[in-house]
Amino acid sequence: MANTAIHKATRRSLLDRYGYEERSAVLFLAPVMLVLMSVAVFPILYSFYLSFFRMKLTRPNNQPFIWFENYSDLLTNELFWVSVSRTVVFTLISVSAIAVIALLVALLLNQEFKGRRVLSTIILIPWAIPYVANALMWKWIYDSGYGALNGALYQLDFIDKYMVWLGDQDKTLPLIANAFVWKEVPLAAILLLVSLKAIPADLYQAARVDGATVWQRFIHITLPAMKPGFMLVMIYETMMAIRHFDLFFILTEGGPGDASHVLSWHIYVETFRNLSFGSGAAMSYLLALATFALSYFFIRTLGRRI
Amino acid sequence: MARISFENVNKNYANGFHAVKDLNLEIHDKEFLVLLGPSGCGKSTTLNMIAGLEEVSDGALRFDDQMVNYVPPHKRDVAMVFQSYALYPHKTVFDNIAFGLQMRKQPKSEIERRVRDAARKLEIEHLLDRRPGQLSGGQRQRVALGRAMVRDPAVFLMDEPLSNLDAALRISMRAEIKELHEAMQTTFVYVTHDQAEALTLADRIVVMRDGEVQQIGTSDDIYERPANTFVASFLGNPPINYIDGEIEVRGEAEAVFQHPSVTLTLPPEMARKLSGAQGRRVRLGIRAEDVDERGDGAEGHLIHGTVNSVLPVGSDQFLGMEFGGAELFFRVGKGMRHKNGEAIALTVDVNRLHVFDAETGASLLYD
Ligand SMILES: Nc1ncnc2c1ncn2[C@@H]1O[C@H](COP(=O)(O)OP(=O)(O)OP(=O)(O)O)[C@@H](O)[C@H]1O
Ligand SMILES: [Mg+2]
Repeated sequence: MANTAIHKATRRSLLDRYGYEERSAVLFLAPVMLVLMSVAVFPILYSFYLSFFRMKLTRPNNQPFIWFENYSDLLTNELFWVSVSRTVVFTLISVSAIAVIALLVALLLNQEFKGRRVLSTIILIPWAIPYVANALMWKWIYDSGYGALNGALYQLDFIDKYMVWLGDQDKTLPLIANAFVWKEVPLAAILLLVSLKAIPADLYQAARVDGATVWQRFIHITLPAMKPGFMLVMIYETMMAIRHFDLFFILTEGGPGDASHVLSWHIYVETFRNLSFGSGAAMSYLLALATFALSYFFIRTLGRRI
Repeated sequence: MARISFENVNKNYANGFHAVKDLNLEIHDKEFLVLLGPSGCGKSTTLNMIAGLEEVSDGALRFDDQMVNYVPPHKRDVAMVFQSYALYPHKTVFDNIAFGLQMRKQPKSEIERRVRDAARKLEIEHLLDRRPGQLSGGQRQRVALGRAMVRDPAVFLMDEPLSNLDAALRISMRAEIKELHEAMQTTFVYVTHDQAEALTLADRIVVMRDGEVQQIGTSDDIYERPANTFVASFLGNPPINYIDGEIEVRGEAEAVFQHPSVTLTLPPEMARKLSGAQGRRVRLGIRAEDVDERGDGAEGHLIHGTVNSVLPVGSDQFLGMEFGGAELFFRVGKGMRHKNGEAIALTVDVNRLHVFDAETGASLLYD
């Protein structure tokens, strides 16, 4: 009796709280939510669950629950730490290059000049290319036997014999980063261009009357105004770079040696080559956590005072 | 000390648009000059040329006797207040005001002193740590004024600085700007399309239209002796009334304005000026307030019509009168009670009539 009364009361208050529009919105969203639950939320939770098991597909009958052992094992796993450092280097190179180049491209496209529209379109092309296609294209470019890079440098007399590019320990990460940057710059540049375009012209006029030089106007007006756009680009590109997989898979498979053995590649090898799903899941979780922590850091440092 | 002169100045924008046409204008030292005109007439363009933000396409712009056509803005010793205020959104109010001084490498203590001084005068001391986004429109406006004030410039430029404020604030800020001008003793060039603002603030007004100067003069000149129908129409509320008719010269100092429904006797001084205008088609201008609703004037000073509308506007009322197929608007005292459709006679103050050429619109009385 009392139970139904409470039940009624909550129902009433729910109905009161959500008007007709909210309720129909919930109704319309429900199918998508269900699909998302089953294809996104469930796997995420399930893989978290898996990360507490020693689960190797080669030993299907011996999969004990081991608490945090998958995580603690990582601390002593040398290759894991190599992959972390490779990822950090790759991300640092890529994100800083993307930030600088995208800024320059955005500043260029913000100028009025003949052929600006054509140029903006051309600059967008890499964005339209799928990651895998981009990776295959760069595999050709970097090829040591018949690659376009060797061909071009040779014909321009920069080198006197064809070079090994991706096979060179010291060059492989920067070269992969280069391919990644090439693909990512357009989107980053467009995002920055939007914040550039939003700056009112009279701010620059006021600064000119105030006696600010071109450089000072850039420092005092352009850069602060671009902060939100910059933050977006940094967060997005950092996340993309940390988790990037396609280029490593297609160009080097982590080699030569462990020169491009990044974390995402390490997870792939552990999970799908060693078929060790438990520790693979554990590392995926760490990667997600790191990505999250970094975004938080960016929002706190760059996002302050906006 | 700053005298500004435009000599045959033209401005063509990159797209070929001719925004300012053959401008000749002398702005005196310490003068409060207002550029007045409708939207798009070239006021901002003219102001921006003084600031150095827009290049002079042709002609000479001089400060005192130095030609400044190619002098960049920061070397002109001008400060500017923008319509949108153009405050730096990421800087505090203090830094906004200080920016011009910082760029000029003034010593820190001097900057501090001048910013605080300006802030005190504008009563925004308590806002110095805020950012523009946290200010009201009126406060932003003060910050923009402060930014110009601290520079202590030779020329103070303002582009519609009050247009984003509400009516009451606009009127009080008007008074403050006038005080500021008196206190600063510098040349002010002020752009507006608001006639009331121009009339109250200006030492002299320049009325512009489509890039051309229509008239330059004191508020009195502009209002009492408009050079053409454009200037006459632009000022006055409700706007001036026009009746098209003919001049009939009746003697040495005698002339009348003839219209099928009204004949008005012109005063002798006017008649003298029109002595050569026998039979000329003219457009007679009667300002809304230049009638007496008692209608007890002599014949030749009366205008008859029927009441069309009566609109009380607080202090007095607007009277719409049907006359010769058109509607004339007058400003009359509150005491008058009329009903729509009623026939009335108004006494015209003939000494204050304006006579324009019917074709060109140029005044036949003043130039
Ligand atoms: N950069 C530009 N390129 C081409 N034409 C321009 C440019 N700036 C202004 N114009 C044109 O020049 C004319 C005068 O512009 P200006 O800004 O001086 O007008 P204004 O009198 O200040 O008008 P408002 O009261 O609307 O501010 C306008 O017709 C405008 O369209
Ligand atoms: Mg303007």
